[in-house]
Amino acid sequence: MIKLRQIWRTTTVRLTALFILIFVVFSVVLLAYMAFQSSYAIQQQQTRDIDREVSQLQQTDANQGIRALAFAVQRLASRPGPGIYYLGTDVGQMVAGNVANFPPGVLSAAGVYTFEYDRERVFGEAPPQQRGQDVEDGQALVRTVVLDSGFRLVVGRDIVERRGFTAIIFGGLVFAVIGIVVLSVLAGGLTAMRVLRRIDSISATSQKIMSGNLSERVPMTRRNDEFDALAASLNEMLDRIEQLMKGLKEVTDNVAHDLKTPLTRLRNRAEAALRDDAGDEARQQALETTIAESDQLIRTFNALLMIARAEAGTPSGAFADTDIGAIVRDVAELYQPAAEEAGAELITEVEDTLTLRANRELLGQVVVNLLENALKYAIRSESKKGEPEPIVNISACSSGDIITVMVADNGPGIPESDRERAMERFVRLEKSRTEPGSGLGLALVAAVARLHKGTFTLEDNQPGVRAILSLPRRT
Amino acid sequence: MKILVIEDDSEAAKYLIQALDEAGHVSHHASDGETGYAMATGMDYDVLIVDRMLPRRDGLSIIESLRAEGDHTPVLILSALGEVDDRVTGLRSGGDDYLTKPYAFSELLARVEVMARRSSPSEAETSYTVGDLSLDRLARKVVRAEEEIILQPREFRLLEYLMKHSGQVVTRTMLLENVWDYHFDPQTNVIDVHMSRLRAKVDRGQSVQLLQTIRGAGYMIRD
Repeated sequence: MIKLRQIWRTTTVRLTALFILIFVVFSVVLLAYMAFQSSYAIQQQQTRDIDREVSQLQQTDANQGIRALAFAVQRLASRPGPGIYYLGTDVGQMVAGNVANFPPGVLSAAGVYTFEYDRERVFGEAPPQQRGQDVEDGQALVRTVVLDSGFRLVVGRDIVERRGFTAIIFGGLVFAVIGIVVLSVLAGGLTAMRVLRRIDSISATSQKIMSGNLSERVPMTRRNDEFDALAASLNEMLDRIEQLMKGLKEVTDNVAHDLKTPLTRLRNRAEAALRDDAGDEARQQALETTIAESDQLIRTFNALLMIARAEAGTPSGAFADTDIGAIVRDVAELYQPAAEEAGAELITEVEDTLTLRANRELLGQVVVNLLENALKYAIRSESKKGEPEPIVNISACSSGDIITVMVADNGPGIPESDRERAMERFVRLEKSRTEPGSGLGLALVAAVARLHKGTFTLEDNQPGVRAILSLPRRT
Repeated sequence: MKILVIEDDSEAAKYLIQALDEAGHVSHHASDGETGYAMATGMDYDVLIVDRMLPRRDGLSIIESLRAEGDHTPVLILSALGEVDDRVTGLRSGGDDYLTKPYAFSELLARVEVMARRSSPSEAETSYTVGDLSLDRLARKVVRAEEEIILQPREFRLLEYLMKHSGQVVTRTMLLENVWDYHFDPQTNVIDVHMSRLRAKVDRGQSVQLLQTIRGAGYMIRD
């Protein structure tokens, strides 16, 4: 169960809070700006209206006289609306209009005045108790003009509109901010919960794996988002770990079986030689065989170590610039006489300067293993009459950034179903079970190929086997 | 030869000392690093055989100190650590040769004897002679009984190494290391075939067979 506190502490929530803050600030600023602009526009509009009316009335006064002006003012004043009109003396004696009292100073000189006023007092309306509802103070914007006759003409507007508008904007703002905050909190919380759930599932998988179940994998959705990417690479890592653990188990299993068998043989032979009726000759033989078997055991063990280290990614020695072409040439030259003696032809083809970052010792051992294998397969085929002469081709060449070492023989070949298995440890395919060897040769090649970030494959050479080792120049 | 064996495994040391005795050498034994170092500096030995892992003082530090003091006694390092890096570290500390456990005694003996002779000068000899066979290193020419023998470059190097250590056993591993510069373990008898070819060129039709196979150990050239 995901606790509230957990959600509170997540990065998602923090980011969401930051986001809310920025958004709110921005919205407030935007809305305030809009409100201000609109308010200003309305104010401008009102000012224009006032000025227009003033000049119209002044026109009337100039053309038709003060009486016509008074009628016009009274007509305007009786209209419902925010209009404020006054025609009268400078001390407040009204001739026409809808205003009872002005604050001092408004009537004295021409100009533009804004002032607050008590509606009831100014408009002579019924007292608020009678009306029984809200009394607001009005706010007026007026223009006072001094006529030729000395009368004052005041035209103005109650900016109640503007106030109403501002109230709307403000209300909208508050509503918006509250709405944003609530929605964001919800959204942030939900997102955080979702994220937490994904992360929790990863943690849960790790726990399960650590308690022993190596085949567990982090669940993935089909959304292909960053969590899926994380899950994918974690799963890849788990695959590798499982593979390593399997390899380790395999090694220990193999060690148990394939080393104990020759050890048992050794012991049996030694025991037999100790029997009273065994002669000196037999004893001598037994001891010599013991040494030979021990040597083979040691070789097997060393090979196993080499493979295990190569597979774990810690090579036996540093990587350096190595000319694999030279290695192939050297090994081929080393085996040339032995091949000839056995009646096989060894054809070598090596390009110049095939350097790559590699471990020289491992590569040397690998080429030796491949060549020894190929010779073994090829020579076996010679026993029948009419069979072609055994030929082994060993070559090293490059194509772009990949260096390829190929060893091919024209022996009986490996059936396709067995090719994958042949690269595993201790696998001796049926045909070669009776011959000397530990069955580790190709396993080492495979491990070394992986270590150098390359590939190793066995193909049908028609006839025979073609072993291909491809290594990148740079790792 | 006087040999000092610094080895903490008493079983292995006993076996080694006994075998060395039987081979005609005088051997002393130290079972820890400090004692070994004291003995090495106190007496003159022809060869030191030093195990890497020792109590009280490890083998490599002993060698480094000896070299720093100007002691150039040849040292054979024994170790269960057989990776290339380990070999390089060992040789860089001042060791002259490196042998991984478990080893065949014949291997150790051959290397020890080769090492002892190396300590005497004449590193840069221009020619070797064994019986009526002579090898000119500069001219890359081999002559036996007044007749020149044509050898492939590798065969020449093989013969050169054998003659450099004439009268001493040279193991297959030593040949692989010194003539081919590789440290792997071949399953087949590749070296033997090279040797038999060389023998065919050098010894065929001759009354004296100079190139000899030492059973269980390796090869030797001697008259």
